[in-house]
Amino acid sequence: MMQKKVCMLGGFAVGKTSLVRRFVSNVFSDHYHTTIGVTVEKKSVKVDDRDVMLVLWDIYGEDEFQRVRESYLRGSAGYILVMDGTRKATLDTALALQQTAARTIGAVPFVSIINKADVRSEWEIDERVIEQLRERGWPVLFGSAKLGQGVEELFALLATQMVSAPSFPRD
Amino acid sequence: MSTDPHRPHRDSPSSEGRTSLDEDWTQLRTLLLSPEQTQLDELRDRLDNRAVQPRDVSRVLPEAFAVRGERDPQLSTVLTPYVENGFVATIRKSPRAIVDAIAPIMGPAIRQAIARALQGMTQSFNHSLDESLSVRGLRWRLEAWRTGRPFAEVVLLHTLRYRVEQVFLIHRETGLLLHHVAAEGAVVQDQQVLSGMLTAIQSYVRDSFGASPDQTLDHFRVGEWTVWIEQGSHAYLAGVVRGAPPETLREDFQAALDDIHAQQPDALTHFDGDAAPFKTTQTYLESCLHAHYEPPPRPSVLKLWILGGAIILLLSWWGVMAYQTHARWSNLLAELGTEPGMVVTVAKSTLTGYHLEGLRDPLAKDPSAVVIEAGLEPSSVKAVWSPYYSLDPQLVKTRAQSMLQPPRSVKLDLEGDTLVATGSAPIDWARETKRLAPLIPGIAHYRDEGLVTAPIPDLLERVNRTVVHFRSGSSTVEPSERAVLGAVSAALRELDQAASQSGQRVRLEVLGSTDDTGSVTRNIQLSKERAHVVLVALGGEQLGEATTVIASIVPSTDQRRPTGEASDQRIVILRASLAAANRGNEAARP
Repeated sequence: MMQKKVCMLGGFAVGKTSLVRRFVSNVFSDHYHTTIGVTVEKKSVKVDDRDVMLVLWDIYGEDEFQRVRESYLRGSAGYILVMDGTRKATLDTALALQQTAARTIGAVPFVSIINKADVRSEWEIDERVIEQLRERGWPVLFGSAKLGQGVEELFALLATQMVSAPSFPRD
Repeated sequence: MSTDPHRPHRDSPSSEGRTSLDEDWTQLRTLLLSPEQTQLDELRDRLDNRAVQPRDVSRVLPEAFAVRGERDPQLSTVLTPYVENGFVATIRKSPRAIVDAIAPIMGPAIRQAIARALQGMTQSFNHSLDESLSVRGLRWRLEAWRTGRPFAEVVLLHTLRYRVEQVFLIHRETGLLLHHVAAEGAVVQDQQVLSGMLTAIQSYVRDSFGASPDQTLDHFRVGEWTVWIEQGSHAYLAGVVRGAPPETLREDFQAALDDIHAQQPDALTHFDGDAAPFKTTQTYLESCLHAHYEPPPRPSVLKLWILGGAIILLLSWWGVMAYQTHARWSNLLAELGTEPGMVVTVAKSTLTGYHLEGLRDPLAKDPSAVVIEAGLEPSSVKAVWSPYYSLDPQLVKTRAQSMLQPPRSVKLDLEGDTLVATGSAPIDWARETKRLAPLIPGIAHYRDEGLVTAPIPDLLERVNRTVVHFRSGSSTVEPSERAVLGAVSAALRELDQAASQSGQRVRLEVLGSTDDTGSVTRNIQLSKERAHVVLVALGGEQLGEATTVIASIVPSTDQRRPTGEASDQRIVILRASLAAANRGNEAARP
């Protein structure tokens, strides 16, 4: 079976772990987030009738106290940028993380998702900003880890992109 | 000069001349351009017929495959389904050929796998067997029972020096699992996730200490497990080891890793997430699944001798005890077979003792007493007796005694199935016994001819009342007195019999007397003669076994001496009395 390493990136408390939890049944406890800054989980998806094993590295949210370890990004076939629609600052974090990822692992497929679609009225990220992201070539999805919206689509889209990518990127 | 052969010559004087010139041109052209013309014709043919000729393709096919295969994997992708279909068709069409082709490869591989499995199983079995019979093994068995863990696991924990339980082959950059093997019985977590976490931990440690990329996490220990990590250029090998592994194990890990890198250089360099090519690394990884156990201590020869001696002694003692017990049991059965009133129907020995079933007359001996006499513990013999009447003569007689309760003066005997009563007894008892005796089990008839029903005092009185009269001066029994003598003789015999059966003796005095006429000497002589005559008439000294007879004269001081007329004094009187039984017969001479 084909395996792909995928990193979950995003600011502090944007809902990365919640999205992963919606997608997989957890094996390790969340305790690892605060100790070594990452928890690895896996989920199998189907792309064009082929099974692809996504090995998800759920990386601790970047904030002013803790930076994302670039070594965790190495070898990723793709990554997911998670933002919190109710906090505009998480967009800036996502932009910075995307640059870090591009610098570290190259132009690998990625998908961004703006979480907390269940409280759309409270969003600080408006349509104009989203449009700008899309103009930069970002695939932008909306989702709600709380309701489970957009989660399966998020991982399916990234898996498709990774499988159809020409070859394994090198950093 | 024009080179066009088809253009007519303008300066030709006539048509005949022109024709000749054309032929010359053609001839000249043929001479000059024949090889090129042939090539031109061939080129025209190839242009007209653009289909690729197999012969042409065959010339370049190998080189074409090589060139395209180096450029990208598309050739493989395109050919794979055709190769697969062809392979499947070949297998269906002639499986034998495939079998013959792969047998040289599969045979050794299968044998190796089976040998490895058998070796592991035998090792584990031998180990458990070795330990299961020792004192230490018993202690571990107790521990297994107490902790609820399998015995084999407890043995493993105590004797294991080290065992490589799992080996992970992990792609160094992505942290993705390439291949994984585990020892039998090892607890295996999610391998892909564990591979990722192992890689993350290494990155974390390296980053945290600011180590350079070539400085890597070597090993870490968790409880009784050690995880050894051996780095390669593209992949690393992580071995989960239980116990304390020797350093030489690292060499095996490194050798396996080197072999894998040598075998799969392209797959490692261009790894894109597809771990299928690394299934071939199974053998290398399995070669790392070492296990080493502490050899069981060999018991010393002296201990073995002592143990053997103790066992032999124990067996000997057990054998003697078993033999003795069996002999006692046989004795008991023999005793019960001869004991009247007991019939054994079931006799068997069980693990806990002996079991007896049978019939027992209530008057028979107590079975417990027989068991004790045989030397066995009564508690070791469980007996179930059903009551019955035995026809054994001894028991029939005892039963008659018990049921009839005869007086001491009666003696009961058994002659076949006939009960014979002798002695003296009250008339009521005699009558009741005559009715009851035939009803007693084992008694068909009853005889009591020898039973005297008159009481001894009555007989004594009848004897003592007897007086035999004589004529004056005569010592001859008168015919009129013979009836008296006959009656008293019968009474004396009854008395003798009754006294004999009641354990008593009879003292009989036959006393003669005379009247006062004649001389005293003559009268004493006459008295003795008269007593002797009566004694003889009664049967003499052999009157009976229990009777002592004394013939004498009536003493002058005897109060019973007759008084009155002279004719009343010419008599013999009898004096019978009971005496002690131990005195022998005595006959006093008159």
